[in-house]
Amino acid sequence: MSELGELDRPGTPNSPGAWDESSEEWLMSTAETNAPDMEPNAQDGRTQARTATSSTRTARRGTADPVKALMHRHRELCERAVDPLEIAAGLEAHGVTDRTAARFRHRDVFSLAEEMYARVSRDAETAPQPTPPTAPGVRADWVLLSLLPGALCAATVTGLHLTEGRVRLAVATLGALAVALAVRAALGRGPLSPRSHPAPPGTYASHTPASTRAWTYWLLAYALLGDDLLTAALTGGLDGIPAAAGDLATAPVLALTAACAPAAWCAHLFAGGARRKLAASRGLADFTAAVKPLLLGVFALFLCTLAALVAVSGTVLHEPAAYTTTVTLGALLLLARLLTAHGFTHAPAVLLGAAAATEAAALATAFASHLPGCAFLAVPVDVVVAAWGAAGIPAATCAGAALVLLLHATRTLTRASAHAIPGEPG
Amino acid sequence: MLVRIGLLTEGGYPYVSGDARLWCDRLVRGLGGHEFDIYALSRSERQEDEGWIELPPQVSRVRTAPLWTAEDDGVGYGRRTRRRFAECYGELAAALCAGPDAGNASDGPDASTTEADRFGNALYGLAELARDEGGLVGALRSEAAVRALERACRAPGALGAAREARVPDLLTVAAHLERALRPLSLDWYEDDGLGSVDLCHAAAGGPAALPGLLAHHFSDVPLLVTEYGVPLRAHYLASGADDSAPAVRSLLAAFHGRLASEIYRKAALVTPGNTHTRRWQERCGADREKLRTVYPGMDASHFAEVGESPETADPDTLIWVGRIEPAKDLISLLHAFAEVRKEEPKTRLRIIGAATGAESEAYLGHCRALAAQLFPDEAEGMHAVGDNPVSFEEIGGPEAPTLAEAYASGAVVVLSSVVEGFPISLVEAMFCARATVSTDVGAVVEIIGGTGLVVPPRNPRALAEACVALLQDPARRERLGAAARARALELFTVEQNIAAFHGIYLEVVSRSPVNRVVLDGTGEPLPFAVPAEAHVPGRWTQGGIGVVARGGPSWATGRASAPVQATPVPAGEGAR
Repeated sequence: MSELGELDRPGTPNSPGAWDESSEEWLMSTAETNAPDMEPNAQDGRTQARTATSSTRTARRGTADPVKALMHRHRELCERAVDPLEIAAGLEAHGVTDRTAARFRHRDVFSLAEEMYARVSRDAETAPQPTPPTAPGVRADWVLLSLLPGALCAATVTGLHLTEGRVRLAVATLGALAVALAVRAALGRGPLSPRSHPAPPGTYASHTPASTRAWTYWLLAYALLGDDLLTAALTGGLDGIPAAAGDLATAPVLALTAACAPAAWCAHLFAGGARRKLAASRGLADFTAAVKPLLLGVFALFLCTLAALVAVSGTVLHEPAAYTTTVTLGALLLLARLLTAHGFTHAPAVLLGAAAATEAAALATAFASHLPGCAFLAVPVDVVVAAWGAAGIPAATCAGAALVLLLHATRTLTRASAHAIPGEPG
Repeated sequence: MLVRIGLLTEGGYPYVSGDARLWCDRLVRGLGGHEFDIYALSRSERQEDEGWIELPPQVSRVRTAPLWTAEDDGVGYGRRTRRRFAECYGELAAALCAGPDAGNASDGPDASTTEADRFGNALYGLAELARDEGGLVGALRSEAAVRALERACRAPGALGAAREARVPDLLTVAAHLERALRPLSLDWYEDDGLGSVDLCHAAAGGPAALPGLLAHHFSDVPLLVTEYGVPLRAHYLASGADDSAPAVRSLLAAFHGRLASEIYRKAALVTPGNTHTRRWQERCGADREKLRTVYPGMDASHFAEVGESPETADPDTLIWVGRIEPAKDLISLLHAFAEVRKEEPKTRLRIIGAATGAESEAYLGHCRALAAQLFPDEAEGMHAVGDNPVSFEEIGGPEAPTLAEAYASGAVVVLSSVVEGFPISLVEAMFCARATVSTDVGAVVEIIGGTGLVVPPRNPRALAEACVALLQDPARRERLGAAARARALELFTVEQNIAAFHGIYLEVVSRSPVNRVVLDGTGEPLPFAVPAEAHVPGRWTQGGIGVVARGGPSWATGRASAPVQATPVPAGEGAR
C-alpha cells in the first residue's frame, strides 16, 4: 500500500474499542428505555468516538438540542480549544463529516465547530495553572566530580610536602595534570556545563572557547607563583627566579580547586531558583527583578564559602591566607563559568584575557626595568606593590575584571531567555 | 518545453524514511522531460543518517538542510540591525496576537487582507534580514524576541489567551517560532539556487512550502503547493495531545494558520489531494480558482490480472482488507456479518490485515473473541473438521499470498471504518473490479462516486443489507465492479497523477514565465541568451540540456563565459 493515505490519517479514537461492550448492550437492548443511562457512558473517554450515531440517538431520545449532547461528549475538546478550527480538527478525527454535521443543521463541520466554540463557556479562572517545571535533580555524578579536583589537589600538595628533588618535580607535574583533567571533567557535567542549557540564548556559540581556557590556566599559574616572581623581579632581577619557582604558593590553588564543589552547588541553586521564578513570574520585568537578588545572593554565598576554604587551606598548609587574591580570582572564575554555561561566551573570554594580560604586563615591566635605561617601566608596578604588596597586582586586576563581569551578569543572566528550559525545541 | 522544477520537501523525498517519497519518486521519474532540483529539509538526525533513495538522472542537484538543528553563525547585530529585527519580529508577534475577530469586526475582507499583509510583510522582513545580515537564529532566540512577544501579548486588542501568557509560555513560543523560521536562514534563495528554477513545487504545505514562499518573494518564482494532508489540521491534532498552556497553543495555532493562508495567497496553484483537504484549504483562505484537486496515483499494474478476471471470485465470500485498529470498527462488521448469515448461511468473511501496536493487538484479540462467540465452528458433514466462517489472516499467508489475490478471492469487499482519510484499500478494491460496500466516512463517497454501495457508519443492519443485496445479485456485482475499475483507472492511477502535474507545470510556467536577464561573464546582459529552441517540447539534445536551454548554446558562449544562470551539476551538496 502506498503511504499517501497515511499522510493525514485522522487520529484514531484513544481507546481499545471504538465500540465497546456498553455500546453493544445498548445496540442490542431497546434504546428508548435506557436513555438516561447514556450520559454517564458518554462521559467515559472510551466512547468518544461514537459521534457518528449521535444524531440517530438524539433523535430517538428526542432531545431538542442535539449540539448540546455533542458538546457534552466532546467537552474536553471544546474547553481546550483555542479556536473553532481546533474543534473542527478534533471532530473530524472522531469521524464527524459534513454529512454528520448536516444532521445538526449545519452546512459543514466548520460551522458546527464554530457553534460549539461559541457556546462553550470559557472561564479564565479555570485555565489550568502551568505546573512548574521540575528542576534537574541533584545527581551523584556531578556532585562527586565536583569534589574530585579538590581531593586530587590535596593529594598532590601532600605529595609535594613529602617528597624531594626529582620525585617532587614528577609529583608536581602529574598532580597538575590530574587536577586539570578533574577540573575539566567537573565542569563538563552538572549545572556548570554548557550542556545543561541546550538552547543557547546568547548570540555566540555555546562551547567553551579555547581562549577562555588558556586565560584561566594562566591566571591559576600566576596565583601559584606570580607573587614570588614579581617580588624577585623587583628586588633581585633574574637571580630570584629559581627560588621563586621552587616555593609554590599552594594554598590559593588548593582553595580554588576545592571551591569547584561550592561553585557547582551555587550554580545549581541559581538554576533551580531561576526556574522557579520563571514559572512564578508573569512578565519579563518581574522575572528580572526577582532573579537579580538571587544571582547576587548566590554570588555572595560562593564568596563566603571560598573565604572559609582559603582560611582552612592556609591553616592546614601553614601558609599565610591570601584572602584578597584568592577570593577575587575565584569570583572572576565563577562568573566567567556561569556566563559561559548560559551561552554568553564572549564577555568572559575578553575579560579573562584582559586580566591575564594585565598580570603579564606587570611581570614583564618588572623584569624589563632591569634593562639599561628602562627603569621607569617599573614605576607603576612599584607604586602598587609599595601600597598593597605584591598581592595587590592580581587582586586589583581580578577584582576589576570580576566587577565588570558581575555587572554584565546582572544584565544577561537575569534575562528570561538565558533560562529557556532545556528539552524544548530549539 | 523543458521546465526546471525546484521540488521542495520536508522530511520526505529523497530520504529513505521520508513521507510521500514514493509519490515524489514516481513524479520525478514520470516527468523525464523536465529537470528537477530537489531542496529537502530533513526532520531528524536519524533520517539524515539513513541516506537517500536512488535518484533518476533528471534530478540535476540536491540540496539539503536540517530542520532539527540550527547552528548559530555567531553574527552579532549592530544597533540599527537590532532595531530592524525588533520591528519585524514585533510585527510578526502582533499579527499572531491580534484576535481573529479583530479583522472581521471592522470591515470584513479588507481588514483580514491587512492582517495577512502584516504577517507576510513581517515574515519577508525577517527573511530579508537573514539574507542581508545573517545571524537570525541567534536573534530569534534572544531576549529581544521574547520581549517583542511579550509586548504583543500585552497590547490592547490581543487574543484573550495570549494576554494570559506567562514567561515560560513566551519562551516556549519563541523557541517554536525559532524552529519554524529556520528555513529563513537558508542560503537557497540566491540566483544560483531557487532563484534559477522556473517553478517551485512544494510537496507538502507548512515548512516545506516556506522556502517556496521566500523564493517567490525574492525572485518571483511561481509556487505550486501540493497537499495530501493539511499541516494545520495535523498541528491541531498534535497540539491537542500535549499539555502546553492555552497561550502557547493559541499563538502557535495562529502562526500556522497565518502561514498557511500566506502560502495559499501567494501560491500560483494549490493542488489538494482530496475534497477534504480542499475544504480545509478553502477555509484557510485559498482562492477557489487556484485549487485543482489531483488525486494521489496508485500503481494499478499489480491488480490488472485480477481486475480483468472477475470470475475468480468466490461468490460467497466477503473480504475486508486493511490495518486492524479500533477506528476500522470490525466489531460492527462482525455484527453485520451475523445479520448477513441469517439471509445467506453459506457466506464467509475473511479479515485480512495485521495489527501493529499494543492497542491494535488488544483490539484484534477482542474481535477474535467476538467472532468465536457469534459464530460457532461449522463442518461440512459429521466426519469433517469444523471451521469458523470468519477467518483472520495476514498478507503473505497461504490463503492470501499477495494483496491482489486477497482481493481476488472475494465477491464483495467491505469497508466498515468509522474514521478514514483517503482509504487506499477501497481504491485497490476498485482496481480489482470488486463490488464494494463502505461506510460513509472520510473521502469514501468521493472515491467510490456511485460505483459501490455506501452505508452510514456504525450501522450494522444497513451494512448487512447492502452486503446481502450484492451477494444475491451477481449481475449487479459485476456491473458495479466493472464501473469501479473504470473509475479507478481514470482517476487514481499513477499516470493520471503524473499527467495532471505535467499539465499544471506547463500551465503555471506559461502563466507566470520567469523572465530573467542572463548575464555574461563581465556582468553585461547577454543578448539571445535564451534561444527559441528552449521552448521546444521535450529534450531535443542529449546532455547539458539545462545549460543550453537556459544559457544559450554552448558553442556560442563557451564554457569560460558561461552565463551566471547555468549552475553546475553537483552530485549532491548539503546546504549546511
